[in-house]
Amino acid sequence: MRNRIEGLMLGAVVAAAAVSAVIAVTVTRAVGQVQATRPARTVDDKPNFSGIWQALNEAHWDLEAHEARSGMVMQEGVYPFEFAQVPAAPVLALGAAAGVPGSIGVVQDDGVIPYTPEAAAIKQENNENWIDRDPELKCYLPGIPRAMYMPHPFQIVQSTNKIHMAYAFTSTARTIHLDTVDGPPDYTYMGHSVGRWEDDTLVVDVTDFNGKNWFDRAGNFHSEALRLEERFTPISPDAIHYEVTITDPNVFTRPWRISMPLYRRLEPNMQLLEYRCIEFAEEFLYGHLRKEPLVTRWEGETIIVDITRKIPAGDALYDWYRK
Amino acid sequence: MPSDRGHRFTNSRYFEDKGVGLGRRVRLGTMKTMRRGLRMPRRRFAWMGVLAVVAMLVWVAGGTLGHAQAQTAVPMTPWGEPDLQGIWSVELLVPLERPGGTTTEFYTEEQVAELDRVRATGSVFGNHVRAERGSEADVAGAYNAVFTSQRPTGRRTGMIIDPPDGKVPPLTAEARARQTEIFEYEAALLQNTVVCRDNLDGCIGGAYGSRSPLRDEQPPYYSTRNINRAYGPEDRSLNERCMSGNLPNFRGGFTGIHYRVVQSPGTVTIFYDVGQGQGFNRVIPITDDPHLPAHVRQWWGDSRGRWEGDTLVVDVTNFSAKRDFRGSRENLHVVERWRRIDPETLEVVSTLEDSTVWTRPWTVIQDFARQPEEPNRIYYEPRCHEGNYGLPGLLVGSRAEERAFAEGQGPDPATRCIAGCSSPEGRDPLALR
Repeated sequence: MRNRIEGLMLGAVVAAAAVSAVIAVTVTRAVGQVQATRPARTVDDKPNFSGIWQALNEAHWDLEAHEARSGMVMQEGVYPFEFAQVPAAPVLALGAAAGVPGSIGVVQDDGVIPYTPEAAAIKQENNENWIDRDPELKCYLPGIPRAMYMPHPFQIVQSTNKIHMAYAFTSTARTIHLDTVDGPPDYTYMGHSVGRWEDDTLVVDVTDFNGKNWFDRAGNFHSEALRLEERFTPISPDAIHYEVTITDPNVFTRPWRISMPLYRRLEPNMQLLEYRCIEFAEEFLYGHLRKEPLVTRWEGETIIVDITRKIPAGDALYDWYRK
Repeated sequence: MPSDRGHRFTNSRYFEDKGVGLGRRVRLGTMKTMRRGLRMPRRRFAWMGVLAVVAMLVWVAGGTLGHAQAQTAVPMTPWGEPDLQGIWSVELLVPLERPGGTTTEFYTEEQVAELDRVRATGSVFGNHVRAERGSEADVAGAYNAVFTSQRPTGRRTGMIIDPPDGKVPPLTAEARARQTEIFEYEAALLQNTVVCRDNLDGCIGGAYGSRSPLRDEQPPYYSTRNINRAYGPEDRSLNERCMSGNLPNFRGGFTGIHYRVVQSPGTVTIFYDVGQGQGFNRVIPITDDPHLPAHVRQWWGDSRGRWEGDTLVVDVTNFSAKRDFRGSRENLHVVERWRRIDPETLEVVSTLEDSTVWTRPWTVIQDFARQPEEPNRIYYEPRCHEGNYGLPGLLVGSRAEERAFAEGQGPDPATRCIAGCSSPEGRDPLALR
């Protein structure tokens, strides 16, 4: 009881201080005729992460450093050299918009993901069979950390005992529990997130993954033994330093780290819009099962593009449901 | 207001006692949760005591949050907004419309007990009463009480509180004509199947007859329900496409409704656990900004919230034409009022308006019971789509049937039933479908 009373008094002091902070340390923006205010710290004196955020990098293509290339999917060109490949049929019609931007990478230390030899071979296979294997193309739940740096915004709703992250991609979400909760009843796509504050850093342990997610579009992957330690540290009111230590003894020889800034979306009236991609993926997943497929050979003066997708053994859609 | 509190958390036990099978709790929790048992900490917010201080300071600071009312018992967030946070679920079965012959707004305790008895012993959907073994109606009724939530009867006789008769208002002439056109199309595709032969519900007044030429035409409107063919994914219901989690959501499909509400200053987010893994996350900004441009449409619409005293009032517009609520599509306008009527009960009152569909607005009330935080019993992942082998299976099967028929090896696929085939026998008389 005594503790509770002390807690209440402390709470009152903190609340009073925070309200002062609202007045004194407010970041003020002019939004049309409206004054939008955003305190730098919350009522319970934590960094205020509430708002809409987005990574601004190429990690969703490949966590590791890579050079730009002309197509999301490539094939051998007139030369036999890998550097002379050309875009392949699935993206050919999109011209220069179908390329992949280069990146200095977000993997820390030596910049290389420490795969075991067996896992490195699987990653290479994944990369070569991107279209048939990447869960993103099927609009499956993206998992963590991938959801944090997809090319879609997400919203942090920061309360006192829960911090909720709502992702535009497939309108999924996760709750970071700052209080004590039981673990999930089953393994999950999005993980089970338990957080704590270390000074101004939000530290989140994420566990209970089902091993079906990838890290990026390059085929980097993990197993159900994945464990994450995420660290969110404010750089400024509008930027977060996001760092993740990734541990998975089934796939990696040692823990490794990625880090990147997350940027606040500062547009006036910014809001999270839907990206309900289950519908977007239907033609991709089921188009060939239509009575009359919509994709036909174009005729006349229109370019005819035959797309041959050689689905490797074990990667047919029905195989996925067994994995 | 009658108290339904005696029923809280009785769902699983209720049906175990009656040997009716296990509801959603078991599916959701598996053995891991069951071993832990149900724990019900009734945590008080340690912050409640500072509300008056916060409210005063906010008021002194000249902020816009000065609505906090000192006399109310409603919990408040540390930053002075009404606190709607937590896990909330519908624990009692209340039909949307008041059943015919019932004129009161509430049942007596005796009537509730009798309805519980009748529902549990004779008529739980697909469990006690089965259609002929091996028939299409039997397969279509395969979702028995193992998969579905059968909740105890609530005292309220129907969710609709306005109009006073508890019924959805009459449709406009325009909507009636549209509905007739849709029903005629759907019935035409069933007219040479067992559904119209045996006059099951799905036949919708059609007659048993030969193959309809309409089978090879598109439905008159974008279909959100199953039609009796599977030429492509659009022929199947939003439910089979894993997109049935939509607003408004008064029942949540087979598995009921669980909400997780989390707030930060100026934002309320709600995760909807509905429709057997077809849940979604909704973010409601507290703002007086105008809605999205009229041409930007969303499945879950565009929500704008504001606080009126203890109540979160949400204005929802900009709905997509691809979703459907009883005939209402892109013109639907919903105003929701979310309020904690006591620390353990969240009340949501929704007023629906669409002058192209209904002759007047109508209002629905729902009560949600607060769930303990620690067991965290909310099925978080909307992973219907990730495991949807049913939809491609149906498409593959339909193509195989067409090939077999073309080769003289099987029946005309048009005589097969893959929509509306379940038997009306054994339906829960109060359940909504």
